[in-house]
Amino acid sequence: MMEEKPQPHMTYHRSKTVAVMFLFLFLFAVLMGRMVYLMVFRSEYYTMRAKELHERERSIKAARGRIIDANGRILADNRTVCTISVIHSQIEDAEEVIAVLCRELGLSDEYVRKRVEKYSSIEKIKSNVDKSVGDAIRACDLPGVKVDEDYRRYYPCGSLGSKVLGFTGGDNQGIIGLEVVYEDYLKGQNGTILTVTDAKGVEVDAEGEERVEPVAGRDLYISMDMNIQSYATQLALQTLETKEADSVSIIVMNPNNGELLAMVNVPEFDLNDPYTLPEPDRAAEAAETADGAETGQEQETEDASEQDRLNAMWRNGCINDTYEPGSTFKIVTAAAGLESGAVSVTDTFHCPGYIMVEDRRIRCHKIAGHGAEDFVQATMNSCNPVFITVGLRIGAERFYSYFERFGLLKKTGIDLPGEAGTIMHRLEDIGPVELATMSFGQSFQITPIQLMVTAASIVNGGVRVTPHFGIRAVGTGGADEEAFCYPVQENIVSAQTSETMRYILEKVVSEGGGKNGAIEGYRIGGKTATSQTLPRSSGRYIASFLAFAPADDPQIMAMAIINNPQGSYYGGQIAAPVVRQLFENILPYLENMDYNKK
Amino acid sequence: MAERNRTRRRQHNSENFMDYSLLFIVLFLLGFGMIMVYSTSSYEANLTYGDSAYYLKKQIFATILGLIAMMVVANIPYHFWERFAVIGYIVSVVLIFLIIPFGHESHGAKRWLYIGPISLQPAEVAKLCMILFLASMICTMGKQIRHNKGFWMVLLVPMPIALMLWQITRNLSSAIIVVGIAALMLFVACPDYKRFVLLALAGIAGAALVVYASVHMAASQAGETEGMGFRFERILAWLDPEAYASGKGFQTIQALYAIGSGGILGKGLGSSMQKLGFLPEAQNDMIFSIICEELGLFGGFAVIIMFVMLIWRFMVIANNAPDLFGALLVVGVLGHVAIQVILNIAVVTNTIPNTGISLPFISYGGSSVMFLLIEIGLVLSVARGIRLKDL
Repeated sequence: MMEEKPQPHMTYHRSKTVAVMFLFLFLFAVLMGRMVYLMVFRSEYYTMRAKELHERERSIKAARGRIIDANGRILADNRTVCTISVIHSQIEDAEEVIAVLCRELGLSDEYVRKRVEKYSSIEKIKSNVDKSVGDAIRACDLPGVKVDEDYRRYYPCGSLGSKVLGFTGGDNQGIIGLEVVYEDYLKGQNGTILTVTDAKGVEVDAEGEERVEPVAGRDLYISMDMNIQSYATQLALQTLETKEADSVSIIVMNPNNGELLAMVNVPEFDLNDPYTLPEPDRAAEAAETADGAETGQEQETEDASEQDRLNAMWRNGCINDTYEPGSTFKIVTAAAGLESGAVSVTDTFHCPGYIMVEDRRIRCHKIAGHGAEDFVQATMNSCNPVFITVGLRIGAERFYSYFERFGLLKKTGIDLPGEAGTIMHRLEDIGPVELATMSFGQSFQITPIQLMVTAASIVNGGVRVTPHFGIRAVGTGGADEEAFCYPVQENIVSAQTSETMRYILEKVVSEGGGKNGAIEGYRIGGKTATSQTLPRSSGRYIASFLAFAPADDPQIMAMAIINNPQGSYYGGQIAAPVVRQLFENILPYLENMDYNKK
Repeated sequence: MAERNRTRRRQHNSENFMDYSLLFIVLFLLGFGMIMVYSTSSYEANLTYGDSAYYLKKQIFATILGLIAMMVVANIPYHFWERFAVIGYIVSVVLIFLIIPFGHESHGAKRWLYIGPISLQPAEVAKLCMILFLASMICTMGKQIRHNKGFWMVLLVPMPIALMLWQITRNLSSAIIVVGIAALMLFVACPDYKRFVLLALAGIAGAALVVYASVHMAASQAGETEGMGFRFERILAWLDPEAYASGKGFQTIQALYAIGSGGILGKGLGSSMQKLGFLPEAQNDMIFSIICEELGLFGGFAVIIMFVMLIWRFMVIANNAPDLFGALLVVGVLGHVAIQVILNIAVVTNTIPNTGISLPFISYGGSSVMFLLIEIGLVLSVARGIRLKDL
């Protein structure tokens, strides 16, 4: 057969076979080029994409920084809680795991069994477990059971300073208060555990895990003194009860540098349980009768109103709400009058019990009138006609420019969220009547903290400070310490005017309308106020008293604001005693603390 | 020269050539293949069968059978097979038709026949039989092949098989290989270049047209997943695999992640991440991507160089074959191996659209290895016809 068909094996067969070889060599070269492109130039991209595919990320929560008061007392801390999970593929003895978890966590056998036997990469059994329970489970050393530690915010002082400190949400992020403002300092940096897993999410042991350690947040040191805060809260609560007021606020500040030592807004709420509304109480009832006609609509907006009620509960009246300051604002009018030369201490006036401004007859609170009095006496008497006269003498334009100079048109810049702005007439709208009412603190609205800071700048020698709580942030082991600086504006008023104002305001307390605020052995300056809230017909009043000590060299300033008290509503009668009691306690304390002699 | 060939064939076997280089390269590729099959399959085999060497054992069994068959074939003078050329063609057709009633489905494709415990891919049989049939046919035609009639005859004869492979077994790549083998054998058998250049140009133009048409169709049918558009999804997935990452582009994307993340030096033997379920059945068609991931660019190049050496040995044997029949047999095997390697690597590196094709000697697959080894046996048999002093 082979012999029958001799086939010539020609040269061209050979050259063609070589051509085929070269064709394939060329194609191989193309493919090798493609491989170089993929494995050298695109390697980084594909490696990154593959890594994303292979790695599962678990985050390690960073411990949030603590909040620490002026005495080193911890106001906000972290409590370690545990999350218990099971990893199906690593469980060796399922029955034992179920038994231990049921026993330690107090869960039903059925509930645990379902989760243990479920085929998943990781199954959470229970979170927010006490550390002691977590430790007990860890001590059993069961393969496949993971105990992850986590942090939960804890406030040792409960409701004290709740509206100032604020609280945190589910991801440990600040919701209100200082927790929000200092979020960046407090929160720290979460760490991560990167584990390499196969396509089903089962960890590949050989690859190990990559850990990025969390960085704990920095501790925040604040100027609040929990002893003062605590006592002020007691006083406020007591006043709230006895005067059946809607709310009572007390602010204590160092007028020279703006450090706030206390800020109370009762009713406060429990920081460890911030989402529980108070039992329907008198305030709610009052609100209900006021909105009686709208009960039908309330049903529909149940959820919205729940959130509204929570927001109302968390609201910090000292900075979030504005009010007509009333007579305490006469401090500003007096300072503007003295500074502008519109009035001098020795000027004498006559108060007939009213004053005519254009066609309006504006009454003094003393209907019979104060008769003849000089400017100091007029301030002691809180005489409206005299202050209207002074206001009119200053004139709208100058008065407005003093408003601006004293910083009343800007926010104070306090380190708390949601500060309300001033509600003021525009300059061109200020006629004699508006000017007259402004002179004794009506027809415009400011926040309590704004009044406090303005008063402080008038009595401290003319320095407008920025009110604040935050003093410094300190990282773990003293690292990363950062002291906070706050802007200061000098020469708000002259030293002369400031001294005169201190003298006049001391007289108000020692002999005038603020004598309920006097304490034997201490020189105290201050001013009372009783303002009617809008609408004027409501019969609701705000009684307040602002005081500082020592009167000749103010080191401490406090203000009490009683919102809608029942019965007597005069600031001199109900607010001044609150500040007096506060000062009686804290002035000796502050001397002990050597706080004043910095 | 014809004279010399005839005299050489009469020489005693002991003076003849045994191509140990070829044998060594094949054994190396087989050994390397088994290491890689174990590396790529052990994780999944352990999860699925509780035996990490499950696939390796089956592969070793098939390889031993294949090596025995290779040695038998190598010791039979290759002209012995010439008489079976026509029968082989018919057997191929029958086997492919048997797929319709008896085919075993695996991975969504009906490509296997089970004869007792042995699985058989008719496509592999068809490739071998086609090489044999064409070699015999071209030799019978003699100088007729230079005419157009002979030329088209050779091209048309494999077409029924190719069409059946494509349509019945849904195995486009095997069909391409069959046609490719035929074209190469024809190319070697014909003295001219012109017709082949025209044929190649026509082929390239046709491919370009299909790509253009599919892109155009997809654009005009945007939003429609059914209809004509989805037939071309494979081509669209080739052009932008990440856009089809959850469908047709999935395997390609996973292979690219494996190759790209291997980098120049690789992650080290056994350290592939992609084989842990991300690239399903990594031991099959996509094994080259895991080789690249574990052994890097150098490993990948080494494998290609081994194949180049194998093809070079084929070329040497073909050019020294005692007669045209032997030479054409070797050219056919050369074409088979080279086309399959190139297609496989091109698919794995997303150089061409994805089509299921295994890497010769390395990918897991019993019948593929067995028939390849039989083909090597044929080549060795041709090589034995070469006298040492002629080299």
